[in-house]
Amino acid sequence: MSKTQSLHDSTPDKAPVVRFAMVLDLRRCVGCHSCSVACKSENEVPLGKFRSWVKVIEKGRYPDVSRQFLPALCNNCDNPICNRNCPVRATYRRPDGIVQVNQHRCIGCMYCMASCPYDVRYINPLRKIIQKCFFCDHRVDKGVEPACVETCLGRARIFGDINNPNSEIAQTLATNPVTTLKPDLGTEPHVFYIAADYDAMDPTSGVDINHIHFEHPF
Amino acid sequence: MDQNFVTVLYNSPHQIPLGKLLAQYFYLTGLSAGSFVVSVIAILGGKSEYKALGKIGAVVAPLCLVLAPMNLLTEMAQPLRSWHLMTYLPGYINLKSPITYGVALLTSYPISAIIYAFFVYTGNMKMSKIFAIIGIPLAISVHGYTGFILALGKGRALWNTALMPTLFIVSAMVSGIALMMLIAIILNVFFSKDKSQEAIAADRELIYGLGKFLGGVIIFDVFLIFNAVLVLLTSSKEAWHVAELLLWGRFAVDFVGIELILGSLIPLFIVFYPKTARNLKALSFASILVMVGIYAMRYTVVIGGQSVPLH
Ligand code: SF4
Ligand code: SF4
Ligand code: SF4
Repeated sequence: MSKTQSLHDSTPDKAPVVRFAMVLDLRRCVGCHSCSVACKSENEVPLGKFRSWVKVIEKGRYPDVSRQFLPALCNNCDNPICNRNCPVRATYRRPDGIVQVNQHRCIGCMYCMASCPYDVRYINPLRKIIQKCFFCDHRVDKGVEPACVETCLGRARIFGDINNPNSEIAQTLATNPVTTLKPDLGTEPHVFYIAADYDAMDPTSGVDINHIHFEHPF
Repeated sequence: MDQNFVTVLYNSPHQIPLGKLLAQYFYLTGLSAGSFVVSVIAILGGKSEYKALGKIGAVVAPLCLVLAPMNLLTEMAQPLRSWHLMTYLPGYINLKSPITYGVALLTSYPISAIIYAFFVYTGNMKMSKIFAIIGIPLAISVHGYTGFILALGKGRALWNTALMPTLFIVSAMVSGIALMMLIAIILNVFFSKDKSQEAIAADRELIYGLGKFLGGVIIFDVFLIFNAVLVLLTSSKEAWHVAELLLWGRFAVDFVGIELILGSLIPLFIVFYPKTARNLKALSFASILVMVGIYAMRYTVVIGGQSVPLH
């Protein structure tokens, strides 16, 4: 999937053995926020910060209304701008595609945060370093699914190796219309959405651009 | 879709990672680079009456650049780890990151600027010319790279344009010239008691000339801003929202009011209108306005650029 699509990879045959990715099948998402809670407890995410959250919108006028959910997390991009811009190589991309941050090298310059088009990174206010979703690599390395995937009651989150044709994620990607957030930016996100809503994916939809509350990171 | 149809019920907080201190850092490097360039033009220009100007710039440039990185250190979450930037080991430093070029420039440029100032003040013209020529590309890059920092932040529509480095260099020139002009006026009015009448008059001619030069660079700066805004208005949806913020939204006071009207149009009028162009009070007022205007520009670019939500 990724390799035939990739803008930046000129050697699609030499695909790495494993490429982890996630599919969010929003036809099954009930907006329960369990993934956000599981992620917080698994990764000790401090108060007010999120590695994974569920954006909720309402659209339409009565009686034609609906509520739409958009779970969001780091896209563990194939061409991550955070990685390209990190001056000290604290952010790095593992061969299996997970974008990880070396917590001992990060100098907290926040350039990665400013460059990421999805605003998924945060400064841990207690440890003063950058953190974000890294597909729970401590669990994945031991062969367990990420915490948010395991907890998802509707099985809306599918995690796995997209280069393994027998995996559930590869089959889901092959047989469904999928999209990513901001595909035009060429970051090659590896969190894919099924049935994501146009307005939920649009960061400026339904907000008054002049009165948004912004937070300084720490 | 029509905005009225959509209500956001829940979302995670929006963040502004780079704050006012970063804007201040850009401002100070800009002042430094601008005044260095003016100083070098004065020294290389060769005429002895320009020397005074060359000396002012030679002091202001390293001074601003010593203050600038303090802002960066306070802005960082881990200032004590800043030595990680200077290991220069292949596996530990990312040569693709503009911050990496910046660290090399922030180290080499102040050193060369201090040596340059030393030779300017000891009157060694040959050596000061050599260090002027070494310093010019460093001064331009030390400010140009800050433009690249923003231009490569691809998530932000206001930053991610090829115009950014040029805009930064030109606005640096504007603020640097204004600062030099202000200092030259102060020296001329308050600190030239022991100078002859002719020398003071010659200095004044120099200040009037500097005013015209300032006007020219402001026109170029305004032209670049016009280009940037025009493209924002016709580009992506996010770009349109940034233009909205700048032109009639949250940042309109800073951008249109302070940066454009107070910081560019009024000073332009002052330096070109014959009655005020040769009036030291008016010119010093103009240079203060210009410096405030460029500060507003750094602020709108850094903070305004991050004020469109990304998720
Ligand atoms: S989503 Fe942002 S933080 Fe995550 S890999 Fe992509 S660019 Fe980096
Ligand atoms: S904050 Fe840390 S991870 Fe991000 S760019 Fe700076 S050093 Fe790299
Ligand atoms: S994969 Fe792990 S870190 Fe990422 S959102 Fe899920 S629980 Fe959080």
